[in-house]
Amino acid sequence: MIDLKQDDVEIKKSCCYFCHQNCGVLAYVRDGEVIAIEGDPDHPTNQGGLCCRGNIALKHLNHPARINRPMKRVGERGANQWEQIPWSQALDEIAARLADVRENHGAEAVATAGGTLRTNDWARRRFMNLFGSPNSFHNAHLCWIPTFMVETAISGWSPFEVDLAASRVIVLWGQNPGASALPGMRGLSDLQKGGLKVICIDPRYTETAAHADMWLPLRPGSDCALALSWLNVIIREGLYDADFVANWCIGFDELAEHVKQYTPEWAAPLTWLNAGQIRQAAHMYAQNRPGNIQWGTSVDQIGPAAGATMHARALLRAITGNLDCPGGDLIAGPAMNYITDEEMEANDWLPEEQKAKQIGADKYRLCTWPGYGRIAEIAKETWGKAPTAEWMCEAHGPSVFRAILSGDPYPVKALIVSATNPVNSYGNAKEVLEALKSVEFLVTCEYWMTSSALYSDYVLPIAGALERPTIHNNYGVADYLIASQRAIKPKFERHTDYEFWHDLGHRLEQAEMWPWDTDEEAFYYMIYPLAALGYEVESYDDFVEKYRMYFPPVEHYRYAKEGFATASRKVELRSSVLEELGYPSLPTYVGPAENEADDPKLAEKYPLVLTTGGGFMPYHHSEHFQIKELRFLMPHPQMQMNPRTAASLGIEAGDWVWIETARGRVRFKADLTEGIHERVVFVPRGWWFPERSHEGADPFGVLESNTNVLTSTSDDMCDPIGGSWSNRGLLCRVYKDAQGDRA
Amino acid sequence: MTRYAMVMDTRRCISCHSCTVACRTWNELPIDLIHNPVLTDGPVGTFPNVHMTHMPLICMHCDSPACVAACPTGASQQDPDGVVWVEETKCIGCKSCIQSCPYNARHVNHELGIAAKCDFCKIRVREGKEPYCVQTCHQRARIFGDLDDPRSEVSKLVGSVRTVRLLEERRTEPHVFYIIGTGGQG
Repeated sequence: MIDLKQDDVEIKKSCCYFCHQNCGVLAYVRDGEVIAIEGDPDHPTNQGGLCCRGNIALKHLNHPARINRPMKRVGERGANQWEQIPWSQALDEIAARLADVRENHGAEAVATAGGTLRTNDWARRRFMNLFGSPNSFHNAHLCWIPTFMVETAISGWSPFEVDLAASRVIVLWGQNPGASALPGMRGLSDLQKGGLKVICIDPRYTETAAHADMWLPLRPGSDCALALSWLNVIIREGLYDADFVANWCIGFDELAEHVKQYTPEWAAPLTWLNAGQIRQAAHMYAQNRPGNIQWGTSVDQIGPAAGATMHARALLRAITGNLDCPGGDLIAGPAMNYITDEEMEANDWLPEEQKAKQIGADKYRLCTWPGYGRIAEIAKETWGKAPTAEWMCEAHGPSVFRAILSGDPYPVKALIVSATNPVNSYGNAKEVLEALKSVEFLVTCEYWMTSSALYSDYVLPIAGALERPTIHNNYGVADYLIASQRAIKPKFERHTDYEFWHDLGHRLEQAEMWPWDTDEEAFYYMIYPLAALGYEVESYDDFVEKYRMYFPPVEHYRYAKEGFATASRKVELRSSVLEELGYPSLPTYVGPAENEADDPKLAEKYPLVLTTGGGFMPYHHSEHFQIKELRFLMPHPQMQMNPRTAASLGIEAGDWVWIETARGRVRFKADLTEGIHERVVFVPRGWWFPERSHEGADPFGVLESNTNVLTSTSDDMCDPIGGSWSNRGLLCRVYKDAQGDRA
Repeated sequence: MTRYAMVMDTRRCISCHSCTVACRTWNELPIDLIHNPVLTDGPVGTFPNVHMTHMPLICMHCDSPACVAACPTGASQQDPDGVVWVEETKCIGCKSCIQSCPYNARHVNHELGIAAKCDFCKIRVREGKEPYCVQTCHQRARIFGDLDDPRSEVSKLVGSVRTVRLLEERRTEPHVFYIIGTGGQG
């Protein structure tokens, strides 16, 4: 053991990037090297804890397979032959190519794909706005963003803040903090001691379901029926908050009439729950006020029914009077005391005619300029501030990949990929891989050589969590912030993504718009207004060392003063924003993406129901498969199915099996568990094999066990409101792979 | 006197394996050495009526440690505060301790050629910190402290909640106490 008490060891307040929690990390630094890390006991999120991923930070920082220098392609695309060049040369050449694309095809022919919470995405949006392209995107459509926007349309700002110490019940709707947000799980376990009731809605008996007071194992993708039937029970039995509904909601009578059809008896066969269970759960939620409904990615990933389900779920919170009350779902609004990400994005600089060209905005209108523009307008009337456009207002990723391949609605010639491997992360993986191979100019900002980076013209080495500062503010829409500092300067020629966009901007006539030369200078600019509240600091690092965080005092019932931030100043159960965009103003039943009722013929061929996309330990998204200190916990891809189903198919525990949908098939080992319905199959996300060769049609085995080979992004499988595609509730079949083990 | 002990609250453990990985990275152990495995039983039952329990394991820091008795060189030893540890320079790698330990808590560190074990992170503990597996556990399923101090959480728990010790019949007097239960009860 290294002695951490030596005089020359400095302790830096850093954080972790290996999920969205950004847990606090103390980094012990000597001579410019991090010699040890541990969880920061004073960090409000993790209080000293770190999950298995957090604990391998140094293995990640110093891994021999990391990309450490800018690389320019010298061989054929995909040949994995590179020339190392200086950062400045790479940026010069990339800038020249982007200028060329803009001149010949328009700025909109340049698109960017991003990853999650390890980048300064306002900087990316700032660059794109100034460059003139509306085509930035993330996997946002699959992860909270449509939920945020639907809820904001209805109640003026998504009520995502919690006040759980005062809550009596929490509904975890497709959320499994026991595998994907461990600090949250700790909080729940603590509060359960004090009597908090936990309802877990999940097809699987997860780490969290195992701790719940009530587990509702619904058919994957049938959430819409469940939410509508809860509305039916709560309204029919008079369990709603009549005063709140009378004073603060519009559209209640129509809603009451509308949901009469959605009885628990109607929902039972659709959800595979029984009517008694549905009633009991609705009672547990509505009769234990105040209560909180938590978001999980699941509803964002059910495709066509996503928007309607989010709408119904938002109305449950409203009619039970749980909005912004102590112990309820709090509406904090934007950060009023520091400069928000949105204010850094320079959205006004993107001309209207360019906004109109955003790919997907004609089909999916809520989380693109039409819907975002309206919501931002209302928000600015209320607060003078708006939600972040990066995340909340994005091109539709799958439509961009199709535009690359088809030229429809117009050709996309250049793609910059930052902090994501789209072949793993987006639906219909085979199509994504083709798009990456075909796009004329591809740049990837990465830690590793992936199946996406492989086809790039340039790969740029990016600094990780310990090598850069971080402001955590929940996608730029929290009213608080938690700040971390860089423990060390980036190693080798690694740079931050901020530097990438800054340096590119300087080469493309944006120099005067990038006055901050470092991440810290930009962050200092953002937090400087806190000085007015007494946070007097001389630099960003000074803020981290002295304060680390800013949390405004919690307020309740803020709407009592000025109403809700909607056009009517009330909670719009009947949503004017959705109506203006041409969507149903009340939530109307939509079935699972593929299902036995609507398509019995398909169900004959594919009799099982697939769920995928859920987080699991020890991996995160497509990360960590090369870290042997984690991989030993799960060396092979494992799917879950019920032992009785397996027996009927001649499958034994540990057998290699194929899971097949109408799109393709993937190979996993069978993990047999009674924690899943006989007709449900769980296939985890993210798998690839960094240890395999880049050669051939399946580089690094990225298609062999990649669940996104099974998923669909075709327009009829996407939510017309928010654009979410279908990861869950798809039909599949499973059969043994006769070849078994292979290299 | 100080007598260090640990309580494992199986009502809170979710088998995230943070402790397993964290112990190894913090203590810079080889990839094939695990001091902190977590065993899972379940889901038991028939869908949807199932339950699941997780059992974190570790050296039991026994009062009558079989490994210390079996060690021919005195490398395996116990401090007055109960911590059982190995003095690396005295260990000859004879594996007597591995055979004697009823808890399978002793393993060969092939890099060092010695029979390694958990030492309750005694360096950290003497600095006033918790063993690293305890600090890293988000779920607070592991509680560490001085059993002889009536104000410590471990002594309060052992005095007030039903706990069990593993393989009591071996008379090693293990000092890891298990609260047995299923999720959501703790």
